[in-house]
Amino acid sequence: MKYYAIRLLRSFLTLIIVVTIVFLLMRLMPIEGYFTNYDKLDEVQIEAKLENLGLLNPWYIQLKDFYGSLMKRDLGQSITYRPKVDITKILGDKLITSLRFGLVSLTISLVMGLSLGILMARYKGKFWDKFGTCYIVGANAIPAVIFYLLIQVYLTDLFKLPLLYDRTDAKSWILPILCLSLVNIAYYAMWIRRYMVDELNKDYVRLAKAKGLKNKDIMLKHVMRNAFVPMAQYLPASILYTVSGSIYVESLFSIPGTGGLLVTAIQRQDNTLVQALVLLYSSIGIVGLMLGDILMAAFDPRIRLSHEGGSR
Amino acid sequence: MINNEIVLSVEDLVIKFNLRGQELTAIRGASLTLYKGESLAIVGESGSGKSVFTKSFMGLLDANGRIDSGSIIYKGNDLAKYKTEDEWIKIRGKEIAMVFQDPMTSLNPLKTVGKQVQESIELHQNLKGEEAKKLAVEILNDVGISDPDRRYNQYPHEFSGGMRQRVVIAIAVACNPNILICDEPTTALDVTIQAQILQLLKNLQRKYQLTIIYITHDLGVVANVADRIAVMYAGDIIELGLSEEVFFDPKHPYTWALLSSLPQLGIKGEALYSIKGTPPNLFKEIKGDAFAPRNPHALKIDFEERPPYFEVSPTHKVRTWLLDPRAPKVEPPLLVQKMREMEVKRGDGIE
Repeated sequence: MKYYAIRLLRSFLTLIIVVTIVFLLMRLMPIEGYFTNYDKLDEVQIEAKLENLGLLNPWYIQLKDFYGSLMKRDLGQSITYRPKVDITKILGDKLITSLRFGLVSLTISLVMGLSLGILMARYKGKFWDKFGTCYIVGANAIPAVIFYLLIQVYLTDLFKLPLLYDRTDAKSWILPILCLSLVNIAYYAMWIRRYMVDELNKDYVRLAKAKGLKNKDIMLKHVMRNAFVPMAQYLPASILYTVSGSIYVESLFSIPGTGGLLVTAIQRQDNTLVQALVLLYSSIGIVGLMLGDILMAAFDPRIRLSHEGGSR
Repeated sequence: MINNEIVLSVEDLVIKFNLRGQELTAIRGASLTLYKGESLAIVGESGSGKSVFTKSFMGLLDANGRIDSGSIIYKGNDLAKYKTEDEWIKIRGKEIAMVFQDPMTSLNPLKTVGKQVQESIELHQNLKGEEAKKLAVEILNDVGISDPDRRYNQYPHEFSGGMRQRVVIAIAVACNPNILICDEPTTALDVTIQAQILQLLKNLQRKYQLTIIYITHDLGVVANVADRIAVMYAGDIIELGLSEEVFFDPKHPYTWALLSSLPQLGIKGEALYSIKGTPPNLFKEIKGDAFAPRNPHALKIDFEERPPYFEVSPTHKVRTWLLDPRAPKVEPPLLVQKMREMEVKRGDGIE
């Protein structure tokens, strides 16, 4: 319990530090980012606008105000991207779209990837292993954009599927999800296979065999769980990161998700939007890592104890 | 101590491995009879085939190894003919169990110690749930783990090396086997713990009527626990006899050399004896006595024909041409003679 509490506290602290640093860095940005019509204004008008936004206050007052509005879940308004629209509203829709695609494809990747990896480890050196290796090498070696395009061009014809995303047509969701899953399946298969093969070579598997456990049971009761532990660490982060969307797939199928939003926001010098996105992504990173650590500790008793000084 | 009921009988066992396209003969026609309730120690240097020999009793050879010929008779079945997992499952754990060398890695780090012992019980003793747990705690107590109720719920990393080896032994005993194979059970442990573990094994042997095979290269262990000793060299048992016979009246030049290299027998100030040369290459067919090239007493025939077993006593047989009536009489080296004198003196002291 103590371990979890400490871990939680630390993450919270990191989060506050990161948020503060991001906020302060954003204050160094050129002031053009707060205007849609900077060139046409004279100095008095600019002064008045900045005054109005509170940007002329000393930094610590600005920081206080910022945290105050964060508490009220107010991230400010977009300036150039969609002028005068609340950022929470802009992000809200996009996040949900990306999240939905991300989660579905992640579930598929996990199920397919883990099954493939387990098959590969179970029949190491046999058909499944070779098949999987070909797939993994292919998925990693060929640039994703190439098969995204191939999928879009040929599969739409072949199965009479729509070319672009349509919120109301479920058929149009298939191909983007397929694209999002392909590489991830290879990724999960590769790692679970690797961890399982590592485990299979360990002495405790030999002992389990010597005490009369069937191969199937050794796999189920010992190897699979142990092999999953190192993967558990990255799982929450991967789930959370799905909200950041995929820039390729979303633009290819014209899905209104978050993919590429940060790049656009920076290009348009939309200071508040950039600030909100950096904030979001860094907190996702921190929370993801923390959940990963907690999940791993839940699986592996050694981690909890090493922090309490052990009992050896 | 030894009665005459045979539990396991191995005849002319040949085990081959495929290694990088070449064939290696790891066991070259070894034979062994195991009697109920005895402790047999198999000694020999690294690579002599001790582990492979015993692993073949449980079908635990690596995937590239196979039994080429010979038989392993256990309860009327020939284990050498077993192929499938279903056949071996009936033997592993239930009839023959094994304790491995390294207790630090022999346990699953993510399962509690108790669960791992309990798993053995549930597999082989027809007990489930609470009953199995109760027996597991009892066995943990038997192997000398204090406060077994609390320890049951702990994980392997909360145990020291010696304690973990006790758990590994508990797992083996929990299968309720007939034969327990201990593959270098004390090699990875502190000297102070070694004696405790050996004493524990002796106690368990009595309590559970186990027949124990010790595999070791530590002659100290052997002297401590073994009723009989089998000396292995290059995949063959070259001398087999009661513990006293092999220690105090060894006949094979290899056994002489092995005993001479004991530090305890060395004379202070003199270099420790070591056997010259290296073990033979098992990829090639061995002609004659495998030890001949390293044997200072080798006869001409040693290089030509493999010696048969010569019986020294009903319990003591040795594979060397030196015991042939036609062979010249060769005295064992001084160090071995010294050992014999020590024994005689010790015997006098007791009387």
